[in-house]
Amino acid sequence: MLPGIVGLIQATEALKLILEKGKNLVGRLILFDAMKMNFKNVKLERDPNCDLCGIQPTITELIDYKAFCEIPMPSAEKEDDDFDEESYSIEPEELANILNAGKEIALVDVREQSEWDICYIENAQLMPLSEFDEHISSLNRDEEIYLYCYKGTRSMKALKQLHEEGFTKLKSLTGGIDRWAEEIDSDMPRY
Amino acid sequence: MALTNEEINRYTRHLTLPEIGMEGQLKFKEASMLLIGAGGLGSPLGMYLGAAGIGKLGIVDFDVVDNSNLQRQIAHSVADIGRPKVESIKETILAGNPNVEVEVHNTRLTRDNILPLFEQYDVIVDGSDNFETRYLVNDAAYFTKTPLVYGSIFRFEGQITVFHPSHEGPCYRCLYSNPPPANLVPS
Ligand SMILES: [Zn+2]
Repeated sequence: MLPGIVGLIQATEALKLILEKGKNLVGRLILFDAMKMNFKNVKLERDPNCDLCGIQPTITELIDYKAFCEIPMPSAEKEDDDFDEESYSIEPEELANILNAGKEIALVDVREQSEWDICYIENAQLMPLSEFDEHISSLNRDEEIYLYCYKGTRSMKALKQLHEEGFTKLKSLTGGIDRWAEEIDSDMPRY
Repeated sequence: MALTNEEINRYTRHLTLPEIGMEGQLKFKEASMLLIGAGGLGSPLGMYLGAAGIGKLGIVDFDVVDNSNLQRQIAHSVADIGRPKVESIKETILAGNPNVEVEVHNTRLTRDNILPLFEQYDVIVDGSDNFETRYLVNDAAYFTKTPLVYGSIFRFEGQITVFHPSHEGPCYRCLYSNPPPANLVPS
């Protein structure tokens, strides 16, 4: 729904620019909240220090936008540079073999509840990364722990956290549940 | 330039509004707009602006239609899955109003191709979904002095404004001088 509402306000403004009639949105920002069903009108002003349209612009021609939008990761995460992610990774097929063998392991899904409601791997337990700290105490250090998420990024993050807490028997599913659905379980919905 | 009899009949509702009238409808017919993106925002933009009688609609997108787009990108249908979005939306617009000239650009916007493209249009409407494109579009609209209608969506919230280089208002960089940190960008 939301793209329709926003798109049609844009279309209305575009037509008004051509007509040169009415009061347009120059200098005003509409903030629309669909949940509260509320339109807010915020006054906008030109920033005299703007890099582009300010008094002393630093951008006088088109720049490298990819580089401009790539913000370096926060320093806290850089310290893990020598962490050997590969040795803590597991391919979907390997994990499928372990699960099929009926081995006693802990399978941990670190996605959020809304994602879990779409699909999950059988016998997994949900421990969303957003509240992962609260779940750590329920994990057994002696057990092998296999973590997965949607694509493999969050599960590696959770794995590093467990590693710092002294856990050692850890693996993160490469490619996450998305690759699992592609390669192992074709009945699983993809999102 | 004049309206054909078919167009006069088609745009009757506009022609009888004093704020639009024959003068306004002819302005629409002589106008050109470039839509950035043929997705969630681009779909209603293309369909309504086409129906309203904008003379030339340009559309830039390099993506193909996917099943997961159909929940919101209403210009595309099941039969369009796998087709370039610009081709699909062109067909939808022309099915409703064959008087529109639809110019498709099945390409990714870059700093090398954007300026000559923007120079061909009266108004740019940004329906893009990423920060790289938003900054590129903002800067190019500023350098070519083309008005830019901005819209964006995050979860249940939308933002709309107009950046007009010849008016006193701000540009996108005045609002957001830098993109948010990568880990806060919704994907
Ligand atoms: Zn500015």
